[in-house]
Amino acid sequence: MTTQTAKYEQLIQDLRVQLRPQREWGEGRGLFLVIGHFLNGIAGGAWLMGLIFDSVAGLSVAFVMAALGGLAHLGFLGRPERFWRMVSRMKSAWISRGFLGLSLFLAGAFLYLVPQLIPAAPWSAGSLIAQTGYVLAFVGMITLIGYMGFVYTASKAIPFWNSPLHPVLYIGHALRGGVAALLVVAAFSAPAGGAEQELLWMWIAVTSTVAVLFAIEMHGAFTSGNEAARGSVRTLLAGSMAVYFYIGTLAVGVAVPAWLVFSGWHSLLHARDFMALIGVASAVGDFFLKYSVIRAGTHLPLWTRLRPQI
Amino acid sequence: MKWGMVIDLKRCIGCYGCQLSCKAEHGTPPGVFFARVLKCEEGEYPSVRQVFLPVLCNHCEDAPCVDTCPTGASFKWADGTVDVDHDKCVGCRTCMMACPYGQRYYNDGDAHYFPKGTTAYEEKMVVRHQRNVVMKCNFCRDRVQAGKLPACVANCPTTARIFGDLDDPLSEVSRLIKDRGGFPLHPELGTKPSVYYLPP
Repeated sequence: MTTQTAKYEQLIQDLRVQLRPQREWGEGRGLFLVIGHFLNGIAGGAWLMGLIFDSVAGLSVAFVMAALGGLAHLGFLGRPERFWRMVSRMKSAWISRGFLGLSLFLAGAFLYLVPQLIPAAPWSAGSLIAQTGYVLAFVGMITLIGYMGFVYTASKAIPFWNSPLHPVLYIGHALRGGVAALLVVAAFSAPAGGAEQELLWMWIAVTSTVAVLFAIEMHGAFTSGNEAARGSVRTLLAGSMAVYFYIGTLAVGVAVPAWLVFSGWHSLLHARDFMALIGVASAVGDFFLKYSVIRAGTHLPLWTRLRPQI
Repeated sequence: MKWGMVIDLKRCIGCYGCQLSCKAEHGTPPGVFFARVLKCEEGEYPSVRQVFLPVLCNHCEDAPCVDTCPTGASFKWADGTVDVDHDKCVGCRTCMMACPYGQRYYNDGDAHYFPKGTTAYEEKMVVRHQRNVVMKCNFCRDRVQAGKLPACVANCPTTARIFGDLDDPLSEVSRLIKDRGGFPLHPELGTKPSVYYLPP
């Protein structure tokens, strides 16, 4: 059976079932979308943390992440050569807003970072160009942190995503990603005077908040009257996505860094390798959470409203 | 003027005539169905019966697919028909995630059904469709503008599908919806579909 035939058979099979899984975002080239959202989330968070902790290396990482995230998005598109059209529906489409945010961020971050990294740059760090870049990057950062959750919430077809908590969760992921990026950066750069401890505290606070919000969202989806939302939760906790969720998200993304944080709070606190490991494990966990939540998306069954009347 | 369709579930016999005529009219590639028929068994033994639910794009008044499309490729004509401008589509598939009725398809597969390659029919009808873009039903716009009925309506042997102007209170579609309690799918989502079903 060729790949194409297998895909066709899968589609026919999907059309026969009541709870049809979404396959466009997350499978095949759809993986690029998950990677793109993951990297752009980290980029927004890392820029914010870079500004808070005054880390030019963190800001540089944010810029690279955003650029790679943009490339990943292009890799997902069926017609990447038309990408510039994505700015056409600013009034209603969150993808348009995200695209504009990413463009502003990349342009602004470039203008701001060049004089920070290259002393002989044509414009100085205090120049109008650099300050304009700072403002543009800041606006872009807010957009990057905020828009992704709304992209999913706008999907009326998939009740699991269509939750008011989803945008808040994505903001939490971005912040967690930003802290993770700064932890890794701190392992390879000069100490910033106690910043590591602040970062660890921040990691604990953000992770706890995300965990509580995620638990509330899962509970809401599972106890809601919506069959598709319950199906998504089942897929995530006991179905095809369970392995990614338990191992990737809970074990690698939460348990390992939490153990590293608490067991080494006194002895290993200044061991930078451990800090980097916490950051990497946390980011890996976030990736698998996004991946499994996206893949667990299940379309509304068309029969729901008909059944009582037949 | 607002085009709409009424599907009489009492008359539908599940012959797939609509699905096949749509395929023939538009030459849609494998895996793409602008019109299809769902089958479901209702009730419990011994009171079980099979019910057919023909589905197609609902051409919603508040179409979430149009709102979420970042390029403007998904748009609405003045007569309420929701359509896709394939030259603008970037293939992001956001509209597919937004459509609560699952009536949008991504064309990234082969343009032929048989392993030996395209047939003469497929060369003429299927290959012309743009690849890597989203496709959907447009109420057979070319046919309607030529004064004909959509292919699925014209070819339904039991006249289970009725097409007409929802804005005209005297049209057959408006009358059937009013007299027989026509209902849309998922009205709770507030999309205001233009496709109504008559109870079986």
